Amino acid sequence: MAAPREVFIVCNNADEMGGLQRWAHHMARLLAGRGDRVTLVGITRGPEPYHHGRDGSYAVEVLHREWRAPAMAWRPAKPLEHLNAVARGRELWRSAAQRRGAARLSELFAAAGPGAVVIVAQVWAMEWVRLADTSGLRVVAMSHESYKATRMSSRYRRVREHYADADRMLVLTAEDADAWARDGMTNVDHIPNALHVTPTVHPTLDLPVVACVGRLSQEKGMDLMLEVWERVSAAHPGWRLHVYGGGPDEEELRAQAAGISGSVEFRGVVADVEEALVEASIFALPSRAEGFPMSVLEAMAYGLPTVAFDCAPGVRVLIEDGRDGVLVPPGDTAAFAAALERLIVDRDLRRALGAAARASVLRFHPDAVLARWDRLFDLFHRGLDHRDLHHRDLHHRGPPPAVPERPAAPALEPRAGREAEPALGGDSF
Amino acid sequence: MRLRPDVSVVVIAYNDARRLPRAVASSLAQSLGGVETVIVDDASTDGTGEIADRLAAAHPGRVRAVRLPSNSGGCGRPRNAGIEASAGRYLMFLDSDDLLDRHACLNLLAAAEDTGADLVSGRCDRIFLDVPEGAKGRVRPWYSWLYRRSAVYGSLSENPRLLYDTLSTNKAYRRGFLDEHGLRFVERLHYEDLLFTAEAYLAAERTALIPPRVYNWFVQERTPTPSISNRRAEPANFADRLEIHRRIDMMFALRGAHDLRRAKDVKFINHDLGLYLRELRDRDPGRRERFLDLAAAYLAELDPCAFELARPLPAIAAYLIREGDHEGALAAAGYRPDERPELRARLVERDGRVFWGAGRPRGRLGRRILDVTGLGFHVRPLRELRPANTVTRLEMRGDRVLMAGHVLNPLDRIPPDAELAGTLEFRDRRRRSRRARARATVRHEGDRLAWRSQFAPAERIRPVGFVDPVWDVRLRIRVDGEDVVTRPGEGRGSPPLSGVALPVRPRLTRLAADRLRSYVTEGGHLAFALEAAGPWGRLAGAAARCAARSPAGRLARRGARSLGEAVRGRLTARETKIAVFNRVLSRLPVRPGLVVFESHLGRDYSDNPKYIYRELRRTGRPVTAVWSYASSPEGFPGDATLVRRGSWAYFLALARAQFWIDNQGYPDGLRKRPETTYVQTWHGSAFKLMGLDRPRLKSGPAADRARLRRMAERYDCFLVRSRHDAETLCRGLGVRAELLPSGYPRNDPLVNGVDGDPEPAAEAAALRASLGLADGRRAVLYAPTFATGPGGRPVGLLDPPVDPERFARELGERYVLLVRPHYLCRANVPPGARAVMRDVGAVPDVTPLLLLADALITDHSSIMFDFALLDRPIVLHLPDGRDLTTGYFDLERHGPGPITRTEDELVAALAGLDAAEAVHAARRRAFAARFGEHDRGTAARTVVDRHFPAARPSHRGKRNGRTA
Repeated sequence: MAAPREVFIVCNNADEMGGLQRWAHHMARLLAGRGDRVTLVGITRGPEPYHHGRDGSYAVEVLHREWRAPAMAWRPAKPLEHLNAVARGRELWRSAAQRRGAARLSELFAAAGPGAVVIVAQVWAMEWVRLADTSGLRVVAMSHESYKATRMSSRYRRVREHYADADRMLVLTAEDADAWARDGMTNVDHIPNALHVTPTVHPTLDLPVVACVGRLSQEKGMDLMLEVWERVSAAHPGWRLHVYGGGPDEEELRAQAAGISGSVEFRGVVADVEEALVEASIFALPSRAEGFPMSVLEAMAYGLPTVAFDCAPGVRVLIEDGRDGVLVPPGDTAAFAAALERLIVDRDLRRALGAAARASVLRFHPDAVLARWDRLFDLFHRGLDHRDLHHRDLHHRGPPPAVPERPAAPALEPRAGREAEPALGGDSF
Repeated sequence: MRLRPDVSVVVIAYNDARRLPRAVASSLAQSLGGVETVIVDDASTDGTGEIADRLAAAHPGRVRAVRLPSNSGGCGRPRNAGIEASAGRYLMFLDSDDLLDRHACLNLLAAAEDTGADLVSGRCDRIFLDVPEGAKGRVRPWYSWLYRRSAVYGSLSENPRLLYDTLSTNKAYRRGFLDEHGLRFVERLHYEDLLFTAEAYLAAERTALIPPRVYNWFVQERTPTPSISNRRAEPANFADRLEIHRRIDMMFALRGAHDLRRAKDVKFINHDLGLYLRELRDRDPGRRERFLDLAAAYLAELDPCAFELARPLPAIAAYLIREGDHEGALAAAGYRPDERPELRARLVERDGRVFWGAGRPRGRLGRRILDVTGLGFHVRPLRELRPANTVTRLEMRGDRVLMAGHVLNPLDRIPPDAELAGTLEFRDRRRRSRRARARATVRHEGDRLAWRSQFAPAERIRPVGFVDPVWDVRLRIRVDGEDVVTRPGEGRGSPPLSGVALPVRPRLTRLAADRLRSYVTEGGHLAFALEAAGPWGRLAGAAARCAARSPAGRLARRGARSLGEAVRGRLTARETKIAVFNRVLSRLPVRPGLVVFESHLGRDYSDNPKYIYRELRRTGRPVTAVWSYASSPEGFPGDATLVRRGSWAYFLALARAQFWIDNQGYPDGLRKRPETTYVQTWHGSAFKLMGLDRPRLKSGPAADRARLRRMAERYDCFLVRSRHDAETLCRGLGVRAELLPSGYPRNDPLVNGVDGDPEPAAEAAALRASLGLADGRRAVLYAPTFATGPGGRPVGLLDPPVDPERFARELGERYVLLVRPHYLCRANVPPGARAVMRDVGAVPDVTPLLLLADALITDHSSIMFDFALLDRPIVLHLPDGRDLTTGYFDLERHGPGPITRTEDELVAALAGLDAAEAVHAARRRAFAARFGEHDRGTAARTVVDRHFPAARPSHRGKRNGRTA
């Protein structure tokens, strides 16, 4: 075990109900659990705060109670736009507010002293970290989606700009890291997300249910799932499709599903994936784009065989086609349906793939993932004389806080009922 | 006590006091802590040593300086000294003029420790300092294909291509590994890297590759003192490289690693040799001969296999050097297919194949190496060949300039009876549109074209002055209407081309300049520099340059240029035209009877729109027809208005049209006004998944699907041939328009035969005559879809399905094969196959071809649906698993003919075509009935009756159906 460290995890907000926030709290708990002093920093508050199983082992800070200035910096594209006084004014307001937040962040960092590590989970949050005083600290910038997804979005330019100076840029898979490296980001490395569930019961794989968990939005491809199900349900009327999650396309999808002989159930958002996964026999991931799909990680932990479109490096890392799941070419709904049908008719195949999945998912056990983080921290402090560090400690501006400030009680009590937490949210940067 | 450093960076320097601190700073700024920097000064005379000492003093414990007692003249000894003087567990090398990436040490160390590799290598970027910052080509990664993904190799034989990256600097070596194998740099020879890395690769038990850039190699080509690696002009330098290669060969031979030796030799041919040859053009002949003799001696030692394994053109260059054909070798070295190369060599046709070089290839090896039939010189359009143009005269006669020269005529592609016209073009390099022209006479002269031009430059060429300092020359030859653009340049028989002054009168008075002085560019082409001869002119020029270089001048220039570009770009942009179309043009009144036709995005006059147009003309409907063409109006009907696709006239016609009739799609973004009726004829029934049914579209972004939906929403009428079309094609494209069950107009002649209609009969007969098919042999049409190569791009050249020699031997007496490639590719019929094969890729309309074909070979192209109507034999040739493509039905069960998978099966099927009819005829008829349900030979009439009913005097057989 490495010596305890000071670790900051900085997100856009730390209390929204989203996959990114769940990762942040899980990571904070893991690090704190082995003695690190962890502070989770949200740039602002989420619209609907959620507790994320906060247990007081780590501190939570928020820089801005409310962020009213424009979300994005103003970038005049054409010479004439420079004359836009209103935009200029808003930009001044934004940067002043941002500087205030950054000053607060600097205070937090200063209290930690040199050798601390700042993990920035999102590129928007990185704007504040870049403004803050990080001398003596190591900054790790993370991108929780695939290179391709970033490349196609406006985030690409911001990642290039804000992550270039980070001491390390972390992505989720080796393939994505290679893509970023080819693109000129020389500080890139990869660490996968850790498995965050510990199954207590496992599905029997006998119930005629296919489960599908994800936001009901374009990139999660639920429309493709229904197209697939139209083929499958015709041949296997006894089987049911359980769709978990909510989202902008719900109305449309319900209308689309209405045509399919009532074998599709929309079960809304679940707090506990266990319930959803235990009563299924097959897990389906029809996404068009993914980073490192935590829903597949969970399904594998529960021993479910997964069928997925081969849409991102993260999916390929999790599933080895034919060993612990089935991968089909992106968009090939016929192949997806054929794969589902193969699993539907062959119980032994389900068991074999499910068992292999349970074993293979141990690669992402928290201990294994923490070992990779330790390796990263170790590289940061290579060659730095311990004497040297100690020496700097003596001249530190203030005594390091012995105990991190404990947060007040969680902003809101966990809401009762199943609708509390989406199984997986899209990462909003 | 000080800890042992993880990494030591050995920085070697010789007389580089200026850049050494920068290199050392890049090592000190490493994100990995505790990197040790060891500077080795190779006995410099400019104070580099003192600088090194000062750096060491400024960073005690982090920088050490070592000074060699005497200069070694190379990089080997200093690096060895650095190895001895350093302490790190891993070693890296840095040259004083280069830079390490900030994370280089961390990345290499992490990879080394994670993989346990003895040797880790990262990407090296070459930065060309002569290229301005931000410009294309300034940063060029060194063999980037090696570094696409992280990889670990157990030994060199797992990936012999590692031998391409022979730099020693972009790597980290485990010290223990270097010591165990006694690996040190060889001294007193240049290119010590090559031997060192080859030894290291061979000895390493594990080699890791990582994609991040670790090393920035600064290359300055235009400098009086080039770095050692760039001093290729000296024969001694080349001799050193050959000596190193011989030692590497020896090393591989001693270890019995013959495969690796061959891999290295292939690399020598592909890489090392080309580097020198490309620069040899502009050397004096004596030096050139010395180089080539050195090379020939070494090449003679190589295993002949290496020539065959190398890439075709470098192999030709190497082979011809060995054979002593220096001209041909240099031409091959300069011909790089991906860089719009100029063809400087002669080509010969022997035994039906095309060979490089003027002489007859000798021996089996020669024939194999020099065969360039696969490069398609005999089939590619003339303008793509870019034949070399050699200037033989350039002189002033009074106030007129006389220029003459000759252009290669490869394979006599420009026939002796061709109509030739030449224009000499002078154009401003900065702005291509500024050009001056002079007539040139062009005529055949033996196996090349001779040209000559005489004109008064002062009258013809009017430069502006100051803003256009460089003028390029092109000779544009018009061959039977096709333009071939050549670049006059230096060559055998050229007089000295530099220094001829053409008097000119710039528009900004003679103070700006008064003459164009000729010079030869690095590429060997003729160009002219605008300059002033008189003292006042020189003064004015100096003043102008001074003003232009001042910050204000620079700003003004940049502003003016970008403003000009922005305005021009904005005015001619497609977006602008589409916006004007939607907001302005489509408010103009509709012109009744105006029909805009387009076939395959304007590619040619063909397909369904053509036959609807003909029906309109035949029946004398009062319509104003407009045809859109993409590149050339050639072949389009003379009695229609022709507009270029994308021009203002095109958009205006579309805006005011009453009908749009096309078979693929008008530009996206055009909002069709409700008064316009869009008849979408489409261009074939579907076997392959279409539109929204395609996986690529399903998995892609929503915008692509929305685009398709927008396109399909504009249709008002969609022609279908069968229920199959309605269920597959229309569903996939999302057609919500009226489905007109008319069948395809282009298929009317196939159903009716040509007897009733003289026009298609005449067309088919003319085609038959032009293809020379009157000898009684049967014509077999080979028309597959395009095959995709690696990377998903269509393969450029379509080879015949049967080896031409074999076809001639076994089938040539009975059949002629007509090869029709998909329009994205070109047929590669070797010249020797002309007796039995014809390339029919250039025939615009496929219907006459179908009419004269006696049988069809295809894969899953939609042509089979049309050809089946003729009730003639069809063979589906699906080699290398092409049928893996999922389609709308099972080809094997419902296809119109037998399926063949290999060349043998295809030959057998063709030989037994008639005998097999008994089996396949019934099945083919069922196929034709199913997919050509509505093709009754009345399609054109049905469409015309449906949409242009008014003018018909008699009302006959009007079928106006609607299907769901």
